[in-house]
Amino acid sequence: MFGRRAFLAGSMAAVTFSGSDVLPAVAAQKRVAVIDWAHLETCLALGITPVAGSELRQYRKIVRVPEMPDTVADLGLRGSPNLEMLRFVEPDITVISQFYEYQTATLATVAPVLSLPSYEAGTPPYGLLENSAVALGEALAIRPAAERLVSEVADDIEAARERVIPFSGQPVHVISLGDSRHFRAFGADSLMGDVLTRLGFENAWRDDTSYSAAAPVGLEALAEQRDAGIVVIEPLPADVGRSLPDNALWNALPAVRDGRVSILPPVNHFGGLPSARRFAGLLAAAVAGWPR
Amino acid sequence: MVWSGLAVVAAGLFLLRVWAAWPDAPGGDELDRVILLYSVLPRPVVAILAGAALGLSGLLLQRVLRNALAEPSTLGISAGAQLAMAIATLFAPGLMVFSPALVAFAGGALAVGLCLLLTWRRGLEPVSVVLAGMMVALTATSASAALILANGDYLFSLFIWGGGSLNQQSWQPVLSIAPVLAIGFIASILLLRPLTILGLDDRTARSLGLAVDAGRLGMLALAVWLATTIVAQVGVIGFVGLAAPALAGLSGARTLARKLVAAPAIGAILLWTTDGFVQLFSGGGGERIPTGAATALLGGPLLLWLLPRLRMMEWPTIGQAASLARRTARPWVLVLAVAVAVLVVAGLALVLGKGPDGWIVANGALLADLANWRWPRILVAAAAGGMMAGAGVLVQRLTGNPLASPEVLGVGSGAGAGLAALFAFNAAVGLPWQFVAASVGALASLLLILAVSARAKFGPERLLLGGIAVGAACGAVITAVIALGTAQSYALLGWLTGSTSQTEPSHAVVVLIAAAILLLPALLMVRWLDILQLGAPVAAGLGVPLGRARGAVVILAALMTAIASLFVGPLSFVGLIAPHMARLMGLSRTRHQLAGAVALGAGLLVLSDWLARTLIFPYQLPVGLFASLIGGPYLVYLLSRGVPSRA
Repeated sequence: MFGRRAFLAGSMAAVTFSGSDVLPAVAAQKRVAVIDWAHLETCLALGITPVAGSELRQYRKIVRVPEMPDTVADLGLRGSPNLEMLRFVEPDITVISQFYEYQTATLATVAPVLSLPSYEAGTPPYGLLENSAVALGEALAIRPAAERLVSEVADDIEAARERVIPFSGQPVHVISLGDSRHFRAFGADSLMGDVLTRLGFENAWRDDTSYSAAAPVGLEALAEQRDAGIVVIEPLPADVGRSLPDNALWNALPAVRDGRVSILPPVNHFGGLPSARRFAGLLAAAVAGWPR
Repeated sequence: MVWSGLAVVAAGLFLLRVWAAWPDAPGGDELDRVILLYSVLPRPVVAILAGAALGLSGLLLQRVLRNALAEPSTLGISAGAQLAMAIATLFAPGLMVFSPALVAFAGGALAVGLCLLLTWRRGLEPVSVVLAGMMVALTATSASAALILANGDYLFSLFIWGGGSLNQQSWQPVLSIAPVLAIGFIASILLLRPLTILGLDDRTARSLGLAVDAGRLGMLALAVWLATTIVAQVGVIGFVGLAAPALAGLSGARTLARKLVAAPAIGAILLWTTDGFVQLFSGGGGERIPTGAATALLGGPLLLWLLPRLRMMEWPTIGQAASLARRTARPWVLVLAVAVAVLVVAGLALVLGKGPDGWIVANGALLADLANWRWPRILVAAAAGGMMAGAGVLVQRLTGNPLASPEVLGVGSGAGAGLAALFAFNAAVGLPWQFVAASVGALASLLLILAVSARAKFGPERLLLGGIAVGAACGAVITAVIALGTAQSYALLGWLTGSTSQTEPSHAVVVLIAAAILLLPALLMVRWLDILQLGAPVAAGLGVPLGRARGAVVILAALMTAIASLFVGPLSFVGLIAPHMARLMGLSRTRHQLAGAVALGAGLLVLSDWLARTLIFPYQLPVGLFASLIGGPYLVYLLSRGVPSRA
């Protein structure tokens, strides 16, 4: 008795009927549950509000754009999505990436599962994300919207690239700070790394980093590329603001001395096209202020 | 001799670094100069200072507690400090800005306080103190793991403290550690006389005019301060505090005054050398293994080697009369009642849950769907809880130590180390392989423990110490893999916290069969257990094959632990608590206690699993961690009421 109907009545103010009773325009829309964060972003950017997504508390803190409506049901941590909640929201389709494929059999007992690749070790992810966005659009019967999104994001990244043409070829480290002594770098197979090179910069971190960021490395590794600028992605640990200015090595880095350092607000490490667009904009705006 | 040799090696490695970092051109690059001055040079200084501080801290702890196994990591001080820093980072970042050292000290002091509280009634008897320390450390580590799982992607500082890293870019850590070490060293020298007296027993100390408790507390605080300063500055560095004083004793420092010099010196040399090798092997891309994890890897074998050579300091046996728990007239009726209660709880867990709009009693088609996920969890929790509790009864009866439990047998951690080794090769392996790896790890650690304790015919004390050593060594392997911060780390963290959310029906069937196969022979062994309790001579007189009987009990307990911990993680306290609950209910004979404890253990874990599933729905708490968070306070209560020294 507490099926979809109760859930809809309780938490989806806009849609007050269930199943076949809904308005024709909405009826065409599938009820989508999204577990992978890249696809979750993309889904929202395509104008579809999913019925459920994973780890929404963290999403609202880190991803920010596109905004997550309050009506979306939270499925809990990405690593262990709550199957009971998934059953309650009764999706028509559950979208995952290959990270979650080991759960496909279980997830499929609730609704058909669509697995689209988002990140693969050693592969720059942007192309994968474009393909997956189109595939997602196809599955949701809005392929034109998906193709529009792909070209819009490509245009925005191109526009960002034009803003930083004077810095073309400039090596840049994109890092997140663990404390005032350690960082993780975003390599070529991370979203940040891929967008960085698409904007015409050179990624100063040469190693692959297994989709996101790898083991903590001492800050002295930043010194190996003398002329590289540094882009730090938040969140910063609380004590860094206090202790980083005391770090003699940090202060001696040419990038720090010359003002080629920027701190950007949080960007989803495992983001989709919307995060790529956001990062490109933030990066271009920040670098444009660097001395030539 | 050995030590000066090692120091030369360390110095050689250091000179190699300096030479490599020397600015090439005369008047060379400014940055090269800074790297040499602020990165290459401070690193060995920090290693030396941190090693010395840990050596001193270990010596003080060992002296004050009269316990050869006491050190910052076996007492939970490091893990407590790490957890405090993680909590502060997430929930009170202002505190971390104000003073990370203070946060770390509070965490470490709380951990050691908890250990002492747990063992006060047992007169701080050494093995019990270390057992309590291991439990506190396990719980704190697992709680840190849960925090990392929920936030680690975006706040990876949580990873860093786990494996102490000695990278330096300024002299600030040196300047922070040096005064603490100096104060600690001077205070220790001033306190030389009271420290010597504390090595004697309490009555002698008192008659010599020492305020025993105040003195002990003061020196404990000093030791905790030393250790947590290191955690705050460079992270957790295990085993140096244990090894340095022990090695100092073994290399001829007999008097306390000489040990006070030798232990810090040896600690410094140990850490300096280890760090030299870590840097040598780390190569260009930055360090892959944090130094703290490396010392832990070396420390485990070292501890095993030390064990037979350690003389536990003399500790007066407490003549505490075993309080006779009241005995029920009809024990089997009581066991049956508990079993029925467990079934009721399981039934409730099956139908009652939370939905988007709050509590829901499921029925019909919805129940049919939900039950598909709920019954495997319930069964796994019940079977694992029953096995943990069964293993707990076996181990407690065998060792006569009420603080003994399968968690500290080291087998659970061995399973984790097996998983860690597997994940190091391939993060995306399926469950059958995980099962094999965990079993191999558990079996290997079991064999190691058996080898250590076999010489003493599986004597209780040696068995526990072997378990602690293996547990600590395996814990170090796990920490090392986690500190890498990769996809493997997450898989391992998930296991460490003990999550049942991914349980499949096939797991439930497997674990249930295992429970049936293992618990049955345990019930047949109760006569042995009853007799073993009477002491070795009596048992031998009654014709019990001592070595074989103990061996069989140990193997059975270890197998139960290994399988249970594969599904619910390495800790839960169920194996510790359920036997006590059964005894307090009046089930005092072994067969009754065993049956009652198995039922209680099953019920406890089913209840924990249900609460873990519903409390913060749709998010889920890991059941192992959750069970220990509710089990821990109960344990403190239980022990504060006074547990007889013989279980």
